[in-house]
Amino acid sequence: MQFDDQGRVNKSKKRAVFNQPEAKNRVELFRHLPQYEHGSQLTDLESKFLELDSMHPAVYKVGVQYLAGDVTGGNARCIAMLRAFQEVINDYSTPPGKTLVRDLTAKISSYVSFLIECRPLSMSMGNAIRFQKSRIAKLPLTLSETEAKAALCNDIDRFINEKIILADKVIVRHAATKVRDGDVLLTYGSSCVVEMILLYAHELGKQFRVVVVDSRPKHEGQALLRRLLAKGLSCTYTHINAVSYIMHEVTRVFLGASSVLSNGTTYSRVGTACVAMVAHAFRVPVLICCEAYKFHERVQLDSICSNELGDSNDIARVPGRPDVNSMDNRTNEKNLQFLNLMYDATPSEYVSMIITDYGMIPPTSVPVIVREYRREYLLI
Amino acid sequence: MANGGVIAPVGMNLVALAAQKHAVPFLAVGNIVRRVLHIIREEDLSLTTAAIGGLNLSAVSDDENDDDRDGDSTLSAAAVAAAARSTLRPPSLQTLLEDTPVSAAVPQTSSSGGDSEGKSKSADKSSRSRKLKHDVIEAVNELIQDIVTCHEQIAEQAVEHIHQNEVILTLGSSRTVLEFLFAAKEKKRSFRVFVAEGAPRYQGHLLAKELVARGLQTTLITDSAVFAMISRVNMVIVGAHAVMANGGVIAPVGMNLVALAAQKHAVPFVVLAGSHKLCPLYPHNPEVLLNELRSPSELLDFGEFSDCMDFGSGSGSPLLHVVNPAFDYVPPKLVSLFITDTGGHNPSYMYRLIADYYSADDLVVQRRATAGN
Repeated sequence: MQFDDQGRVNKSKKRAVFNQPEAKNRVELFRHLPQYEHGSQLTDLESKFLELDSMHPAVYKVGVQYLAGDVTGGNARCIAMLRAFQEVINDYSTPPGKTLVRDLTAKISSYVSFLIECRPLSMSMGNAIRFQKSRIAKLPLTLSETEAKAALCNDIDRFINEKIILADKVIVRHAATKVRDGDVLLTYGSSCVVEMILLYAHELGKQFRVVVVDSRPKHEGQALLRRLLAKGLSCTYTHINAVSYIMHEVTRVFLGASSVLSNGTTYSRVGTACVAMVAHAFRVPVLICCEAYKFHERVQLDSICSNELGDSNDIARVPGRPDVNSMDNRTNEKNLQFLNLMYDATPSEYVSMIITDYGMIPPTSVPVIVREYRREYLLI
Repeated sequence: MANGGVIAPVGMNLVALAAQKHAVPFLAVGNIVRRVLHIIREEDLSLTTAAIGGLNLSAVSDDENDDDRDGDSTLSAAAVAAAARSTLRPPSLQTLLEDTPVSAAVPQTSSSGGDSEGKSKSADKSSRSRKLKHDVIEAVNELIQDIVTCHEQIAEQAVEHIHQNEVILTLGSSRTVLEFLFAAKEKKRSFRVFVAEGAPRYQGHLLAKELVARGLQTTLITDSAVFAMISRVNMVIVGAHAVMANGGVIAPVGMNLVALAAQKHAVPFVVLAGSHKLCPLYPHNPEVLLNELRSPSELLDFGEFSDCMDFGSGSGSPLLHVVNPAFDYVPPKLVSLFITDTGGHNPSYMYRLIADYYSADDLVVQRRATAGN
């Protein structure tokens, strides 16, 4: 939705489930994206818990988890959403005078707009929702309600199993062949697939070191670092600014992705493009690990036309640095804005290879997969 | 009076101490030591040429030949000419290597006035050494003034480079950059600034605060967002910690990232540096040798990861290394322009400026512990 269009913004506000005040100091370049004041959103949503009769409690729970940041990462968010939809379908009963197909689709759409309010959809979630709606639309009319519900739940189970869980296993097997003894592997932030690859390669007995690169404001790399250390991998931890310093020692870079677009651009956590660029400058191969269900037919050239904006207070406040935090009360100053981008677009020339469940492909082959294998969705 | 004699050992000690303690900035300390040495040589040179011109020649040998001085006032014209020639010529390798004056009657280029070892001086010599001291002190004061006012001279050039509705990106904080942008604002140019916060020191926050206080439209971004935003930026303006002789830049960590992103998007990368930051050394392996690793506590709290590290395992070496370098090296091919107090220069030109500020003998600051000094 375009947030620079005032008419549409007002319409969506009327439909909104909870109140979200717009941020006061918005960066001009990003006027077309939603920017909200994050302070009061969670409490507002929680207070509405008992008022929302139209909202299924499972969906509400997932929404709160997204808003609070408890569930992050493309796969985790997608699975959480699909499980919530499974519960919705199980508890669903067709109201008199309506058909299951139309009514259920409308319900799902309203739940989806609620989830969008909590946090804008990731591309993986968007693809999963499209799959879901297409399965509902393809239900044969001869099925009874219970049979239809069972079929839909089954479809969701198969989707999660085949497209996410099994796909991850295939990716891990492929990628482990790319890890040799004596390697120094660099990863950025925290990607569940990359973590699985590193742990699997370690189990296979390969000798390698890991460099975990992290950045503000979320410091997602620390969680990954903790889990790797617990399994006994030897790790180096550094900040994204020091990537040029550490890149001399690195032999491979493994990165996760939120999505890969049809022009080969990788859409992932902000900072991935910087890491890929420095790796390219030092001639280190960059491998993106991404399940095929995250591929999208959209194309994007820069990180500005489509992105997600986080809480600007996360930038203004630096935990543990009171000398810097004296700026905090200035978030309302007219001339000063804070920009908290969540995603960025990595150009395809920085990526050596994409490891998917369909195999290891160059970035130029992504539109081929999108075109040839989308039909598979319908044949599931 | 010092030639290299007194300053060089002191200077070398300073530089060694600074490098040992990783005091920031040890490169600048070396630069200033070399500048002072150069000033001394130059002053000595100009005094000597002035002395020759006025035929007010006194033997300025720095060794023990006091006896010869009595006959010096009667040097023949030939000797004067020879003296002039040898003064104006750079010292021969033989002189340098042997570290002894060629002859007592010929004034030495690399030495001046009498020695400080308590030998008796002639009246001429002591007055000359006093004059030299005076000149050197004046020149050093000028140097101090130059360093203090370099910001203004660089800022004067701001209007030549910033146009209306420009978008500028910078990383961390530099006083030179601040003054530069203020000067452009004074001249009524309107522009916006993106400031990358420059973790883990977060100097960018301070710079943003200053810019906002002066009424400039500022947006603070994280360092990871630099690549995302640089496509919408017209120019990158940064300060430097030191400029090496090949035109490379030693800058706060993260600068190489910005320079690479700027090159990819064809955005000019402008480095502001006072001439006292120009270092006559060529960098070899600068990421390691000209860098400083700071405390890991800036990235991770002490003890934060102690629960998941198993110190009982295998080799006993720690599983976790935390790397926190303070500086970055930006190679000259990524820099579009240097703006110094002497004007704008290409990175390939910076080595010429070395001849203006430094003498060739001082490039390696050695202790010359010989009796001749």
